[in-house]
Amino acid sequence: MDIYVALLILFGGALVAFFIDDLNRRWTGPVALAFALAAAVAFALTPEGQHLRLSILGFDLHWQQDSAARFFGWIVLGLTVLALIYSVKYMEGKARLGYFYAVFLMSAGGMLGVSVSRDLISFFVFWEIMTWTSFLLAIYNAYYGVETKGIKYIIFSSIGAYAMLTAIVMAGHYYHTYDLADLWQAGAFSFRSYWYIPASLMLGFAVKAAVVPFHVWAPDVYAKTPMSFTTVFSGAMSKMGVLGLLVVLTGLYAGGGDGMFWFRWILGWLGGITAVAGTLQAIRQNDAKYLLAYSSVAQLGYIVTALATGTRLGLMAALYLAVLHAAFKGALFMVAGAVEKQAGTTDFREISGLIKRMPWTFFVALVSVISLAGVPPLGGFVGKWLLYESLITETHSYFLVIVIFFSSTAAFLYAYRFLFGLFLGQAEEEIKQVKEASWWMLLPMLVLAAVSIVTGMYPGLIFKPAADVLAGWGLPVPDWHMSILLNRWGNQVDLVTVGSTVGVVFVLVAIYITLKGRKTTKWVSTKDISTSGEIPSPQDNLTFQRGFFKPFERAIGRLYDWDANGIWEDLGAALEAFFGFVRKIYTGNAQTYALYVIVFLVVLLIFARRIFG
Amino acid sequence: MEKIGIQLTGIIITTILAFTVGMFYGGLRRKIIARAQNRIGPPVWQNFLDLLKLQGKTTNITHGVMTHLAPVWVVVAAVTALLFIPVLHAGLWFDNFNFKGDLIFLLYIMVFGSLGMALGAGETGNPNSAIGVSRGLSLLVGYEIPFVLSLVAVMLQFHTTSLTDLMHYQQETGRWILLENPFAFLAALFSALGMFHYSPFDIIGAPAELASGPMSEFGGKYLGTLMTGGSIFAFVKLVLLTDIFLGGAGHPGTLTGIWAVLAGLGELIVKTFLLYMIPVSIGIVMPRFRTEQAVRFFWKWPLAFGILAIIWALYKRKYFS
Repeated sequence: MDIYVALLILFGGALVAFFIDDLNRRWTGPVALAFALAAAVAFALTPEGQHLRLSILGFDLHWQQDSAARFFGWIVLGLTVLALIYSVKYMEGKARLGYFYAVFLMSAGGMLGVSVSRDLISFFVFWEIMTWTSFLLAIYNAYYGVETKGIKYIIFSSIGAYAMLTAIVMAGHYYHTYDLADLWQAGAFSFRSYWYIPASLMLGFAVKAAVVPFHVWAPDVYAKTPMSFTTVFSGAMSKMGVLGLLVVLTGLYAGGGDGMFWFRWILGWLGGITAVAGTLQAIRQNDAKYLLAYSSVAQLGYIVTALATGTRLGLMAALYLAVLHAAFKGALFMVAGAVEKQAGTTDFREISGLIKRMPWTFFVALVSVISLAGVPPLGGFVGKWLLYESLITETHSYFLVIVIFFSSTAAFLYAYRFLFGLFLGQAEEEIKQVKEASWWMLLPMLVLAAVSIVTGMYPGLIFKPAADVLAGWGLPVPDWHMSILLNRWGNQVDLVTVGSTVGVVFVLVAIYITLKGRKTTKWVSTKDISTSGEIPSPQDNLTFQRGFFKPFERAIGRLYDWDANGIWEDLGAALEAFFGFVRKIYTGNAQTYALYVIVFLVVLLIFARRIFG
Repeated sequence: MEKIGIQLTGIIITTILAFTVGMFYGGLRRKIIARAQNRIGPPVWQNFLDLLKLQGKTTNITHGVMTHLAPVWVVVAAVTALLFIPVLHAGLWFDNFNFKGDLIFLLYIMVFGSLGMALGAGETGNPNSAIGVSRGLSLLVGYEIPFVLSLVAVMLQFHTTSLTDLMHYQQETGRWILLENPFAFLAALFSALGMFHYSPFDIIGAPAELASGPMSEFGGKYLGTLMTGGSIFAFVKLVLLTDIFLGGAGHPGTLTGIWAVLAGLGELIVKTFLLYMIPVSIGIVMPRFRTEQAVRFFWKWPLAFGILAIIWALYKRKYFS
């Protein structure tokens, strides 16, 4: 199978899905899903290492099915297929399905194209397809304020795209090639020769990966896009920014590693700040979708920091976290979508206590949240461990590791809030009629949860392809084992021992506590609680959801006043003032211009002797 | 097969030891507080009697699966952490899985129980429980920061993230890390105050305000199991600090066999008891902080000590394999 087949299927499927919606609305979803599956099969059948070189309009395009293409391609296709299975029921009854699925498939095509592109021209073309289609989906829900929130995304993306385009044109001008391999060889991404080439490229990638201060578009867009696409948006598309940064890093290594300082420290600290900023904002949110959106920003911060270390464990951590983040955040966005679909809202202040109504959804949420929090024995822990160990043992960034640790400890707060807000707490009368989500929605969620569970014991399943990516691009590769984590100092964590200890003790104690006094154990409702001796009536509202972490917010204090939006708004205001000033000069009035000419001549006459001697 | 037998015996012995010591320490604390308040107080073994009573209760009330399993999570976290911490230096039955986990892992497995407890408390629907959880998680962010700073300082000073290596170094050279990096010890000690949740950091249970907070809906076998887990966990925290800063316990010296083990245990008990007395005696005299005060407390002097510890470690860095 040729490398372009999967792409053709996705873009062709977009057309078919768009028109089939007019024939029969019920078929749009399944047809789109069928095309995505076909694309996945075609992608799987493409032999490793296949090249495709095209020459269009004098540009030499180069696509390659290397290990990096496979790695990121599978993140994209896997999430796309799962999200499309989920969409079948999630999008049921919504308007403009043809538009939704067509753009969805095109977006997946764009991302897959970015993954296989090995020259900057096709990279950029696919990158723009990806950006525009995601913008079209971000404004799919015609929500209040769409004109400012959606536009923010496209403005930031455009700035990033222009920066990238500038870098690409300059790279072509100086090195007479757009092929990545040649550019790496020529040291085009080195900071020593033309530092603005890697810097501008990184600006474009940083926008997509939502790194502070270019993250302001992300929360609104992630939260307002239909959840079935947000899964892909946050899970896969942000990883394209990671892929881009990896390309730059490969160039740095190929160029002898100079400029690593800038890459490591500036980008590493930006990632750390992103993680803290995203986490602190996520803690404050009262809506599950916004909470997850800010949490995505924070998690991408970890990945960027891990990547910025550029060390063996750090790069492994970045790639590992990229997969895991796609798995657990994808699942969590699906959970939020399921709750939205079944209960009508994801606002913590309006809904709580869904655990008995949606037990399977809760299970997925629980597993994914534990993985997100990085608590053993689930997969998220491995990513956190690699990140910490790389920072401590390999780059010696002792203060950065504290920043990361602060953010990942504070992440427990919003992780708990997500579970508590939607599923735990008081079960009020209003939720009595809420039903469990359809199996079409549960199946992809369970698959993603399974990823977190399996990688908790056998992270080697992800280490292997990740190590191939690093080896394929000539980056440092760590020693990896199927289920043992090893750092540079030779200290280890044996995940099978951990997993089985936790499992065995858990089962033993659970059996004990279930069997002991089984007959006399009473399972009561959430209204049957001890409240200072009084018995609350069913009408009493005992929900505690507003200002859940107020004490923590008070402890953080002034830090919450810092807002990146403010920076950009100030910049906008400053630009507007400047343009106002310019408008005062260029008034459009001929008399004013005549005055300028006369003034200029007078000035010239006064200084004529000095100037012309 | 014989190896597995030894391992299993070791796991059981270690768990029982941790449980017994933890329960006795709890009883001692009650006694000491009572004496400080000019009361006679309960006997030292009162906690065992309480546990028996709780396990014998015939009415047990639960609010759902997460509440039902909350004590299980607490026990699992405590026992797992215990098995990955070297209780004695080179003690046959106390080796367990010492070499198979490092400090970062221990940091994370130690919050496993709190999270499970928080989930269970959340499901009860009691607003007091939820407030307690909110406070507990906030406090966690507070004291983890100086603790991690202190651990990172120790890790970089001795070039290892393994607890066993740290103990080994202290046994070999005879120099405790308490003296090698005093600032790290100070930062960790302050964090330990928060970890034990005793006054002035008893904001989670807060008897007068929250009606014992997250615990308020647990009774009978559930409370009993929580007590068991809590006692083991108290021991875990003490042993962890002893291992890192006080050189651990158990010298591979002149004594052999069972006597070496007993001597080691004696040393361990003396050290952990002295450590335990610090949060207990501070708890007797201090009133309770508000939540934000408690969180901020850790971000002032303890944080400063943590940063000093890292600078000290960078200055005194030892390369040891």
